[in-house]
Amino acid sequence: MLEMKNIRKIYRTDSIETHALEDLTLSVGTGEFVSVTGPSGSGKTTFLNVAGLLDTFDSGTYHLDGKDVSRLSDREMSKIRNTTIGFIFQSFNLIPDLHVFDNVDVPLRYRGLPAKERRERIERALEQVGLSARRRHLPSQLSGGQQQRVAIARVLAGDPKLIFADEPTGNLDSTMTREIMDLLEGINQAGTTIVMVTHSPECADRAQRRLHVFDGRVVDIERPRVTLTRPAESRIASNLA
Amino acid sequence: MFFYHVRIALKSLRRNPVLSSLLIGGIAVGIGISTAFVTLRHMYVQDPIPGGSDRVFYVRLDSWGGQQSYMSDDPESLPDQVTYADARALLESPIPRRQTPTFVGAAFLHPATAATRPWQAEIRLTFNDLFDIFRMPFAYGGPWTEDADARAERVAVIDHDTNQKLFGGENSVGRTIRLEDAEFRVVGVLAPWRPPLRYFEMNRGATGKPEEVYLPFNLVEPMQIATRGNANNWKPIQPYSFEAMLASERVWLQYWVELAAPGDVDAYGDWIASYVEGQRSLGRFEQTTRYRLSTVPQLIEEFGLMPAGVRAMSIVALLFLLVCSLNLIGILLGKFLARASEVSVRRALGASRAQVFWQHLIECELIGLIGGGAGLLLSLGVLAVIRRHMRNGEALRLDSEMLLFAAVLSLVAGLIAGLYPAWRACRIAPAMQLKVQ
Repeated sequence: MLEMKNIRKIYRTDSIETHALEDLTLSVGTGEFVSVTGPSGSGKTTFLNVAGLLDTFDSGTYHLDGKDVSRLSDREMSKIRNTTIGFIFQSFNLIPDLHVFDNVDVPLRYRGLPAKERRERIERALEQVGLSARRRHLPSQLSGGQQQRVAIARVLAGDPKLIFADEPTGNLDSTMTREIMDLLEGINQAGTTIVMVTHSPECADRAQRRLHVFDGRVVDIERPRVTLTRPAESRIASNLA
Repeated sequence: MFFYHVRIALKSLRRNPVLSSLLIGGIAVGIGISTAFVTLRHMYVQDPIPGGSDRVFYVRLDSWGGQQSYMSDDPESLPDQVTYADARALLESPIPRRQTPTFVGAAFLHPATAATRPWQAEIRLTFNDLFDIFRMPFAYGGPWTEDADARAERVAVIDHDTNQKLFGGENSVGRTIRLEDAEFRVVGVLAPWRPPLRYFEMNRGATGKPEEVYLPFNLVEPMQIATRGNANNWKPIQPYSFEAMLASERVWLQYWVELAAPGDVDAYGDWIASYVEGQRSLGRFEQTTRYRLSTVPQLIEEFGLMPAGVRAMSIVALLFLLVCSLNLIGILLGKFLARASEVSVRRALGASRAQVFWQHLIECELIGLIGGGAGLLLSLGVLAVIRRHMRNGEALRLDSEMLLFAAVLSLVAGLIAGLYPAWRACRIAPAMQLKVQ
């Protein structure tokens, strides 16, 4: 699904060069749930931005879903972000003056889907995250957990092959964290590849594979763990299927 | 996608009403002032005879004698009107599609009831072609017939205001009006019509209203109607009589022709030249063979009928709009860059740079259009003020052409104000904003 070889990313100012990624090499297979951990400043978010085509890289090769992304135009990268990738952010990144329904609608609009199909997808996604009743609420009228579920619904509505989650539970309490992780596991079990950056060892443990990044390099890859299916996961997995 | 962008733009405008009002107000002031002054210029330069300005000509002949030019300080000048004899001769030309000599007179118009006092009305004597040449609109009836012209029938066309005064605005076709002691049958009533200039006779108070009553030209001899307008002669009429005046070298008639096609002007010119040569051989037309065929726009230019400064004022007003638009660039830039996080989210969710650019440009165009709408209302006020200081202010109005101009100007103003901010918005690097929102 995702294959990076010797990726380098350097931030430059007039006098300083910061090597954010240094010969980063990794590969994520289709259907995997991979967590990325590492200390602050280790390059986790830069990795996610480069992997999610939100930022460029200076050297190396990157194949996403079989395509060499280094030669894509802005339009082509936007299309991949729109159709192949889904993003979940720590700070939810909902658009404040759009209702829940319209927030979930945003990526579908850029895909140019007909109104009926968009409505069906949005309703199904909101139902999956249990927010059908809140469709006319503004983000400010929702709790943090609910806002993150809207962000997940926004991803689900687009039905991407790959999800990048950047500390998705960073702003949530433990109950909400569990809910969101349950949702992500359910989505993964339905076949979607997930790459999640997190500071939380508990969340990282719930991934099938755990990468540790330090100084812009992947320094440790833990072996896949055995995932136990819990009742909540089964429900989401069946909904997604 | 376009309507989605419009919806997003409307939401954005509602998000900060004070800022939005400031932006819209800036455009509105620019559009209001510039539309008003461009409308003023448009009044003078618009196509005076829609569809016919290049085919309608004012005829002048160099009938001036005494070995002097018409204007002593301009050897190229021609008499600005023609003699009665020349007008009669010009009528013989088969080339023009329509033609008429015409002049203005005056007569007391007596209302049918004593409720309104008689008043001295301006009357224009003309052939029926005048109404078609100048596309004069009729509310009731129409021009008199060619037979009525030929037989000098006592028929009349009256204007809208006269019909209001005499008949309360009813259809008065078939009714009679009394001019001095003669009665005339009304055959047509003009619809309200106020051209910016009185095209028939632009060398006499061009900004005045068109005349109130129109009568067949051939009544000039039986009724001995003299001109109330300008008249000049290089040879005295002695002893004076009406018949002697008609036969004299006095220039007092305007002569208009409408050719079937602009290309006919050469053939008509040849015809006139041949007439002039014939007159020279008879001892008239002492100067070299000269004549002039002028279109209405050429006459406006020649007589300097556009007030000095109108063109300059309209240019200054457009520059003012440009300054308004340029001032808004900074405000829009601040507004868009403050929304960098939203732009980043949209980019992450699949919006291309082009889509972000269009979204912001559409917002600017929406500001331009709303500002343009408000500006149009403002321009109505400005026009009302200008109108009060003009004799022909009645003709100063926002027509469909000016409304379209204002709409286009609004879009251009929105484009000028929004192009750079929209470009900057679409260049926002999404990765820098998503983490810190």
